[in-house]
Amino acid sequence: MKERIDPNLYNDLEKFGIDVGNWNECYHCGNCTATCPLTEKGSLFPRKEIRFLQLGLKNELATSAEPWLCYYCGDCSKKCPRDANPGELMMSLRRYLTSIYDWTGLAKRIYTSKIFEIATILVISLIVMVLYLNFTFFPSGEGAWTGNDGGVLINKIAPWKRIHFGDWLMAGTLAFFLITNIFNMWLNIIVKDKSVKVPFIAYFTEVFSVVINFFTQKRFNKCDNDNKPYWVIHLFLMLSYVMLFTMIVFFLQWFQTDSVHPVWHPQRLLGYISTIGLFVGIIYFINNRIKKAKENSKYSHYTDWTFLVMLFLTTLTGILLHFFRINGMAQATYITYLIHLMCLVPMLTIEVPFSKWSHLAYRPFAIYFANVKKSALKKQVKL
Amino acid sequence: MSEKKLTAVFFCDTRNGQTDTVDIPAIAEYVKKIPDVAVIWDSKTFPTSYINKIVRKIKSGNIKRIVIAGDMPGLVKNTFTKAMYLCGNNPKDVILASFKEYGAVTKADTECAKAITACSVLGIPFELAAVPDENPGHPETLVIGGGIAGIQASLEIADSGNKVYLVERTGTIGGHMAMFDKTFPTLDCAACILTPKMVEVGQHQNIELMTYCEVKNISGEPGNYKVKILKKARFVNLATCIGCGICVEKCPTLVPSEFDSKTTMRKAVYIPFPQAVPNKYLIDAENCRYVKEKKCGVCVKACPVNLCINLEEKDEEVEITVGNIIVATGFKIFDAAKMEQYGYGKFPNVVTSLEFERLVNASGPTEGKIKLKTQNKKGNWLFTKEGKEPQSIALIHCIGSRDIHYNKYCSRVCCMYSLKLAHLVKEKLPESQVYEFFIDMRAFGKGYEEFYKRIEHEGVHIIRGRTAQIEEKDGQLLLRSEDMLNDDILEQKIDMAILAVGLEPREDADAISKMLGISRTEDGWFMEANSNSDTVTTSKGGISIAGVCQGPKDIPDAVAQASAAAARVIQSIITGKVKKSIKNLQLENIESKAKQLSNVI
Repeated sequence: MKERIDPNLYNDLEKFGIDVGNWNECYHCGNCTATCPLTEKGSLFPRKEIRFLQLGLKNELATSAEPWLCYYCGDCSKKCPRDANPGELMMSLRRYLTSIYDWTGLAKRIYTSKIFEIATILVISLIVMVLYLNFTFFPSGEGAWTGNDGGVLINKIAPWKRIHFGDWLMAGTLAFFLITNIFNMWLNIIVKDKSVKVPFIAYFTEVFSVVINFFTQKRFNKCDNDNKPYWVIHLFLMLSYVMLFTMIVFFLQWFQTDSVHPVWHPQRLLGYISTIGLFVGIIYFINNRIKKAKENSKYSHYTDWTFLVMLFLTTLTGILLHFFRINGMAQATYITYLIHLMCLVPMLTIEVPFSKWSHLAYRPFAIYFANVKKSALKKQVKL
Repeated sequence: MSEKKLTAVFFCDTRNGQTDTVDIPAIAEYVKKIPDVAVIWDSKTFPTSYINKIVRKIKSGNIKRIVIAGDMPGLVKNTFTKAMYLCGNNPKDVILASFKEYGAVTKADTECAKAITACSVLGIPFELAAVPDENPGHPETLVIGGGIAGIQASLEIADSGNKVYLVERTGTIGGHMAMFDKTFPTLDCAACILTPKMVEVGQHQNIELMTYCEVKNISGEPGNYKVKILKKARFVNLATCIGCGICVEKCPTLVPSEFDSKTTMRKAVYIPFPQAVPNKYLIDAENCRYVKEKKCGVCVKACPVNLCINLEEKDEEVEITVGNIIVATGFKIFDAAKMEQYGYGKFPNVVTSLEFERLVNASGPTEGKIKLKTQNKKGNWLFTKEGKEPQSIALIHCIGSRDIHYNKYCSRVCCMYSLKLAHLVKEKLPESQVYEFFIDMRAFGKGYEEFYKRIEHEGVHIIRGRTAQIEEKDGQLLLRSEDMLNDDILEQKIDMAILAVGLEPREDADAISKMLGISRTEDGWFMEANSNSDTVTTSKGGISIAGVCQGPKDIPDAVAQASAAAARVIQSIITGKVKKSIKNLQLENIESKAKQLSNVI
């Protein structure tokens, strides 16, 4: 394959990372790759990625799935004799690849400009507010505020059907962007790699790896062998998120009720468990990043913070919303509902297709594509 | 000077965050006063990346010469040369003033740095202007350290008919070289080269050998140093000991032998190794039960010579006067236990290269048979002749060298000695598999590349990619490394792993440098007067350095440097004069000398 060398690759990539800028220090001893518990023949990282970077092989980097196969335990950076920080390179590469897959160019803007990211969040927040005020029955009379006319009636103010419509609109948009981006990822990882010809059947035999890796993150567990809580908390956080997302997007009629169910009711139980999962996870990760406790929390890009902070605000307003509702505080409930939406919608719109949270799709799909490639390669060798 | 050329001085400040550096603003202040200097540029505010701006600055200031001053001025020379060319000036009028080259590093060296810059501005080489005065010199010489470098230097000076005091810290001369089995690349027996020299030192009438002694204090000035030497109590009379060895048989205390890298045991009364010079016993005060607790004393009773062993002997101090001093204090090896990932100290069959060097040596723990360690009844792992032969041996390069967390520099000898050890394994166990895991193979010397090729042809597997970790599995060692040239990750079971440990300055290097008044590099090695043109003398007059204490080097280089240092000393003895320290020179003197010279030119 003919390679074009991009002399600006290093500078371009640096914009996606924290100011650690010493990847050129690497002298290729191979300790990082040999330390990594996840690397294997056929997908060697992170040394190889550093090599691509040093040589300016942009194409090689753009078409590699390896950055997504790394879960950043940080052993490589700890053992590096040159402090070249390979772990942080893999992190920056994930940001870079997100921007490569994203055809709209928004991801690149979000990752390289703080102001752009914050402005986007504010604009979406405002849009949500305007829509909410126009399409729901925000109380105007005194009676509605106090909740004297029959308790807290969310469905009267914001009927679940209308919110549901908004949900679907948002989910559809997000799905459209995310799926097209994954299509781009597929083009990059499989189609552009001329060395492998993938037989159609391989896509079916490996399809389970997407599902399994999405729900168990078993690779992550393998990586984090001396620090189990990290994997457990991350998995719990992810499952809680999926649970809440499913309840809100698919079963809002059942989830958003005006009558207060008893505590053992599945609606409340599931809600509580997921909230705990989210909250514990967020606090744990924020704490890690503040204390810089682990190798992977030493360097925080601003997008890491926006993601955590937005998620934290969404969860917090969700908890408050529930608290106000079951205590019959109508006025507070209605306002919190609006604030909750104003946090939730921009968080999802920005993070899921264009920023950090896209990894919930990219990671399992990267493993899927890598497996597909590997099985194709095996067949080629057999022939 | 034929015509007046306006000069710009550019200060290239390459040090970030370090505090103990030369005071660049003070130097700038001083340099401004020199008549030809038109402008001072500072690298912090100067647009070094934009050549057009430099060209504009040169043209607007009508600059004809540029002096680049700093630690590593060569870094930016290209830019300025190009800019001068673009301006139509002579590109050769870009002159460097390198502080580091002349050893001006710390804040205390600011005056020296001023002089270096001034000389460059005046267009006079610093060496020509900064010529120290001379003292009348004492003809006797002190050599500190009895390794191969110290031995070589002592012999050179003694053979020229001059008196040498050779002070050695341990009980014998020989140093590290005596511990080696073979030398690279010729595979000569190290002892066969070294022991004749040792014997010669012992018998030389011009050499006063002072083993088991330490230099305590040095006073006086170049040419007339008063040196206080501590003679540690040896407890055995050197003159009367007949070397029969009966005391060793009777001594009840066992201690790990330093000479065998702690792979064997010795007694508290011992001779470091059979070929030791002087070949006389000594008692190790730290471990002797009588010296410690006033118990035992068996050796005294057993000794056939009357009054030979005197356990009440005390340390004494002697003072000598010398004109010149050669420092050849050598090195220590890197402590491999610091790199936990290799499990040295945890897994018995992970050994350092120096331990392995003793293992393959015929006088080592197994009489030269390569064996795995076995566990004795007390649970200690030891090399014994009954041990199993290893089927596979791995050599891991760059342990503690080229690593930001330990030592940044390359230790220079590890690649070659690893190849040598690989050869020795292949020679003794032809059926075994030998693996070398390296980062870069540095076969830089005469005959080294050929040696490397030879070892490759012997069937040693040389793999690019340093092993990252060693674990234990099923009684074997499990190594994990990247095979870079084969795009693969290797997980291998190996019987024995040898860590190619690097060289480090000795723990007492700092104390010695302070005692002698010589400076050290940031890595801790002793600093030479000029890194290019004077690699054996130091900034202190009458003190030369030789061997690894100046920086890692192999045996041929250490010997060459020792001879060079001896040549300097002999030169000074013949002229009867010893140069004073460069650092004692006054700035005004250097400047006036430089001005005088520049007028002549």
